[in-house]
Amino acid sequence: MPEPAPPDPFSLLGLEPVFRLDEAVLEARHRELAAALHPDRHHAEAPRARRQALGAAIEVNAAFRQLRDPVRRAEALLVRRGWAVAAGSEPRPAPELLMDVMEQREALAVARRARDRASLERLTRGMVEREAALVDRLGELLDEPAAEAHADAALRALVELRYTRRFLDEVRAIEDELD
Amino acid sequence: MAYSEKVIEHYENPKNVGTLDQDDPSVGTGLVGAPACGDVMRLQIKVGEDGVIEDARFKTFGCGSAIASSSLATEWLKGKSLDEAGEIKNSHIAEELSLPPVKIHCSVLAEDAIKSAIEDFRRKREARRALQGDAPPAEPERAEARV
Repeated sequence: MPEPAPPDPFSLLGLEPVFRLDEAVLEARHRELAAALHPDRHHAEAPRARRQALGAAIEVNAAFRQLRDPVRRAEALLVRRGWAVAAGSEPRPAPELLMDVMEQREALAVARRARDRASLERLTRGMVEREAALVDRLGELLDEPAAEAHADAALRALVELRYTRRFLDEVRAIEDELD
Repeated sequence: MAYSEKVIEHYENPKNVGTLDQDDPSVGTGLVGAPACGDVMRLQIKVGEDGVIEDARFKTFGCGSAIASSSLATEWLKGKSLDEAGEIKNSHIAEELSLPPVKIHCSVLAEDAIKSAIEDFRRKREARRALQGDAPPAEPERAEARV
């Protein structure tokens, strides 16, 4: 059974739907709304109103977490614009990307087995730079006036960003293991 | 989320992890990925002269279900003809491993990898046959290069 679509996080927080969000503005808006909806401010109200405030507070927190994360922010924009119906409906990853990811993951596995911190750091640095470049690129692709023309490129950049994210998650797991 | 015993067994003791020579004409390679989660899976088959799969290897960077799905796929592939191998469906893999609905896409990835490896092997075989059949395409080129 399909779950009901969650409310659009940009509308929920009253923010302009762009990828290059001002983080300070996002945090300030979240703080304001969370304070207004805090249970302490509604404890004197009827149970129904209290439940509503609590439900709204949960939605606001979820929207904040979603927009703070570049991957999920891009997803929210793509869904909002109707370019992607759901996560996973993106184009298949290009063979070159998969080959590259496979090589990088194999190198990471070798560094892990050898407990080779220097290689681990080098691989991580490369991937962090790549992640930053992809976030920049998504900003260019999603925020320019004629963005529809770049829908496909934006979807591909998002898929690649997810691969860099997975790589860096794995790095953190290995670092925990080596510590 | 709880993994089934079979998933855990394949995850802790994966079968046929490794690499076959991608340039070997009897080897077909499938490299596939899941755009939603960042998993990547490589599955390779080595096909004998009789058209039967002699060996199968995989390497998967992904969750336990993705590893188990590809491990199981390599076990099933050995000893099958290409046509039989092409009939393996993700639903068979999902059923054998008791994958929950949120992990079905891992078995889909494994089916994709099988199909892609078979396709790669067939493409290489066709290219080889074309080369052997249509006599001398290499000769004139070399003659031109000498001019």
